[in-house]
Amino acid sequence: MTYHIVFCHGAERSLDPKEGTLAKVLIKEVNRVDIGSVPVLQIGDLTKYFGGLGAVVDLDLNVYQGEIMGLIGPNGAGKSTVLNMIAGTLSPSKGKLIFKGEDITNLPPHRMAKKGIARVFQSNTLFENVSVITNVRVGLHLHTKIGFLGGFFGSSYTHGREKLLYEEAMEILRFIGLSDQRDQLAINLPHGSQRALCLAVAMAVKPNLLLLDEPLTGMDAEEVNVMISLIKALRDERGITSIIVEHNMRAVMGLCNRIAILNYGSKIAEGAPTEISENPAVIEAYLGAEQDVA
Amino acid sequence: MSSKRKPTNTLIILVFIVFLLLVPVFLKSSYWLHVLSIVGINVILVASVHTIWCTGELSLGTAGFMAMGAYSSALFVMRGELSVWGAVPLGGLLCAIVAVALGYPFMRAKGIYFSILTLLTGEIFRLTAWYYRSLTGGPLGLSGIPSPEPIKIPGIALITFDSKISYYYLILVVVLLSLLILFRLQKSQVGFTWRTIRERDNLAASVGINVLWYKIFAFAVGCFFIGIAGALFAHFMHLLAADASGKFGMFTSIYILIYMVVGGEKKFAGPVIGAIILTLLPEVFRPMQEYRPIVFGALVIFIIFFMPQGIVDLPYRFLSWGRKIIGP
Repeated sequence: MTYHIVFCHGAERSLDPKEGTLAKVLIKEVNRVDIGSVPVLQIGDLTKYFGGLGAVVDLDLNVYQGEIMGLIGPNGAGKSTVLNMIAGTLSPSKGKLIFKGEDITNLPPHRMAKKGIARVFQSNTLFENVSVITNVRVGLHLHTKIGFLGGFFGSSYTHGREKLLYEEAMEILRFIGLSDQRDQLAINLPHGSQRALCLAVAMAVKPNLLLLDEPLTGMDAEEVNVMISLIKALRDERGITSIIVEHNMRAVMGLCNRIAILNYGSKIAEGAPTEISENPAVIEAYLGAEQDVA
Repeated sequence: MSSKRKPTNTLIILVFIVFLLLVPVFLKSSYWLHVLSIVGINVILVASVHTIWCTGELSLGTAGFMAMGAYSSALFVMRGELSVWGAVPLGGLLCAIVAVALGYPFMRAKGIYFSILTLLTGEIFRLTAWYYRSLTGGPLGLSGIPSPEPIKIPGIALITFDSKISYYYLILVVVLLSLLILFRLQKSQVGFTWRTIRERDNLAASVGINVLWYKIFAFAVGCFFIGIAGALFAHFMHLLAADASGKFGMFTSIYILIYMVVGGEKKFAGPVIGAIILTLLPEVFRPMQEYRPIVFGALVIFIIFFMPQGIVDLPYRFLSWGRKIIGP
């Protein structure tokens, strides 16, 4: 039996599954997800200087519909800076961001959200003193559709909307697995659940593109597994494209369709996980350091 | 977000309103009616500042915007031949427009920087009134500000504004209306969004909330009502002076902040209660007037240490102490 593979960049070829591990992995990935051939996000020449320091220099990267793109590299390589530019928190010194064919360079964060880009912050960023469900309810802001006057006078339409939004928030919480804790204060949740709630808030934006900044930090093995399956489910069940910055290499290798490696602000390699792990430049710059320690 | 209001709270508010309506019946002293009217104006001020505070920004330009509302409304009537009934809302509107124009640059500065900006801007407004002699009378003050025109309800009554009692009722109505609007606003979707901005503005922005405009809107709403309070003050006092130690001096802004903290900023009623109690307290201890800053300072320190939730939390505290002593 042969497989016909359509690569992200548009190339096609037939493969025998016995051809080797690389092929096996590719086949597995391609079978599971239908990665489009049109990039959702095109990053061109993206550059950010902090003073004289180039945090990100001339980065070119395409992210395709329905894939999980890993962004890895040593600390200070500029991964978070890239995410911050895509999210609109930082404006690039140079370069272009094209999202679904539209130029989104320099848009402020709330406009990015409106376009369909949601993010999960590096640290647990939540509305800590309100309930879990209220957090998700805030995430639904763009879909609230309660007019100013309706909200002011408390019309019956408003009450109907409120009920609907509550249901929507509950649906997201059930997906994330936090529906039982809906009335707890966010601050009282354990770290892993807070992280999942961050994801739920981002989900409520109903994004096409999800930016995950180190979603697995500080989690125990069980929490990591839950989180990984959640991110996978977002891709497989809801077709959400993700860009993920993460240091947990095992998770990144298992989770991502493609990986880009940054070092000193430039991309040194890009490709499927197996290609990356065999790339000598990567091993030297990044994985090599880990092997030395081991 | 819209928590069900407890019927007891509604009852307390209704009883209190009825009480306020009946005050002039047994309180004939025009001095005390004057004091109560000033209390009303302070209540509008503190509720407005509290509305801006919902977004997490503390405006200390209260006195300046109040001066703007007061002088503009007075001058609209005296120079512009407008009716007082039109001039008062117009004064508020002017403050709101200026707040939008200033809010756009100011709201990019957060926290203490915003507070300093508003404090100094307020001072600039006051100093403008102080030095622009041809318009405001400068240090001599602006005198002869007319009272509101009488309201004619054909066949029923003619309401004139020539006594402290009529002013008391006028201010009471405006205060209740302002509080109702600000309360509904704070409990609406907009108020909900304001509070999310206060808690985490970066997360709020990341879910699509236009943080800057929501903050500017809160600032404009707050300044509108501050302007209304100032305009009422002008037509109530008939005389305006913009000296530093007067109503438009920096201290008013600081006192309003103290009312809010002492009353308890977590609940809508907190600042209102704080303003009522702290405006009445110095009147009761009139002989100790000169010690007011010391007493207030001590009170604030005491409240912050022992009742961080403010006076409004006191009934709940008593309840929980009672439960501890008597048992549940």
